[in-house]
Amino acid sequence: MRRLMMWSMFLALALTLVWGCASMDYASVASIAVKTTVKAVEASRPISDSEEYYIGRAVAARVLGTSRLVQDPQLTLYVNEVGETVARKSPRPNTYKGYHFAVLDSAEPNAFACPGGIIFVTKGLVVMCGNEDELAAVLAHEVAHIANKDGINSISKARWTEVLTTLGTETAKQYAGAGGQLITLFEGSIDDVFKTIVVNGYSRSAEEAADAQAVATLRKAGYDPGALPALLNKMMAKTGAGSSGIFKTHPPTSDRLAKVKTGTPGATPDKMEAVRTKRFQSIKM
Amino acid sequence: MKVPVWLIKSRGWLLLMVLAALLCTPVLAGAETMKVSMGNQSLYAEPNYSGTPITPVPAGAEVNVVTTSGDWYKVEYQGNTGWMHRGAFAQAQSPQLNLPGMLFGGGVKQTKSDEVALAGKGFTPEVEAGYRQKHPEMNFALVDQVESFKVDSGKLQAFIKEGGLTP
Repeated sequence: MRRLMMWSMFLALALTLVWGCASMDYASVASIAVKTTVKAVEASRPISDSEEYYIGRAVAARVLGTSRLVQDPQLTLYVNEVGETVARKSPRPNTYKGYHFAVLDSAEPNAFACPGGIIFVTKGLVVMCGNEDELAAVLAHEVAHIANKDGINSISKARWTEVLTTLGTETAKQYAGAGGQLITLFEGSIDDVFKTIVVNGYSRSAEEAADAQAVATLRKAGYDPGALPALLNKMMAKTGAGSSGIFKTHPPTSDRLAKVKTGTPGATPDKMEAVRTKRFQSIKM
Repeated sequence: MKVPVWLIKSRGWLLLMVLAALLCTPVLAGAETMKVSMGNQSLYAEPNYSGTPITPVPAGAEVNVVTTSGDWYKVEYQGNTGWMHRGAFAQAQSPQLNLPGMLFGGGVKQTKSDEVALAGKGFTPEVEAGYRQKHPEMNFALVDQVESFKVDSGKLQAFIKEGGLTP
């Protein structure tokens, strides 16, 4: 009996120790460390991947509030296949919830990259692309804007500082107290991004950086890197047609074209390009 | 305090320590290994998606968890060390044995401090919900539809191959 009691005690004590070991996992240790430094980090941290995702969703919802989505599974699948193919070879092959490509029912050629991974291309721009490689060039350029965080970086620094200040306040710990303020700041952040990607367009340097990255991505994916200058040439030829749509959000300037051409020396036609063009043409638009 | 004779005679303390050590080891080892359940995952040099991936990690691969930072796990995989997002794993939380709960029932829930919880928060689903209520004209239903569209991994590989592209 005494022996049984002894082993029972051993077992209970051992299990308690085991629990101690198991519960003191790396997450607990990390949380203690984080707790002590969080105030300093909170005061300067950048926008997280998940925050970028929620801002991107709201920007996309705003776009879809006024634009119709093409409900064509074949076209949607095709654009997603081309988009995923280039995204995988981009400097940012994955995002918080992945990339998603969709076609907007508009004849005006344009494309938008919402932060976090949703990319819209209009039917008008898909039609303007004469082949799959040019569509890949458009999507690689938009993926580059997401990889470079051009949309999310258009949120004003003052607004983001205010978000962090709000999060640091005591009331933020009780969500209801600071919720209204955070929603207002969220709203303002969406305005900042929307104005950049839909209304005013990116800076010239952001466009040129996205072009250079798109060329590199096309090459890595196996597409013709010359497809981007070819498409820009088409756009340049139509510049006189108007100053809205892609001509405003992604203006095709001669400087931009010259830089892209310099970045694509020795691009030789791929014999498989004909196969890709054929499947592009088989998609009914 | 008088130590019971039976404890001394049986070298109980020593046995206790050995037993605890033996029991501790497998629990920790078990907590360090996690299985990747999502396709198209990679190791990243930093705990974010911005950098160039170190190496791809296929679905089904087992990785050793070194440490965590927010939603990111620092892992070892085939001689490489890098970061993977928690979304790559089916279990959002690392496996953990809750023996006190089993033995004594409840009362051992781990809670993060408000500060720790807020460190990774700002624009959250709750903020989005508030925004949606304020702006019913925004079409989040279509956003959900766009996000629900997935390209099958096998079909994508076939598409890449058919077009003479780089896998």
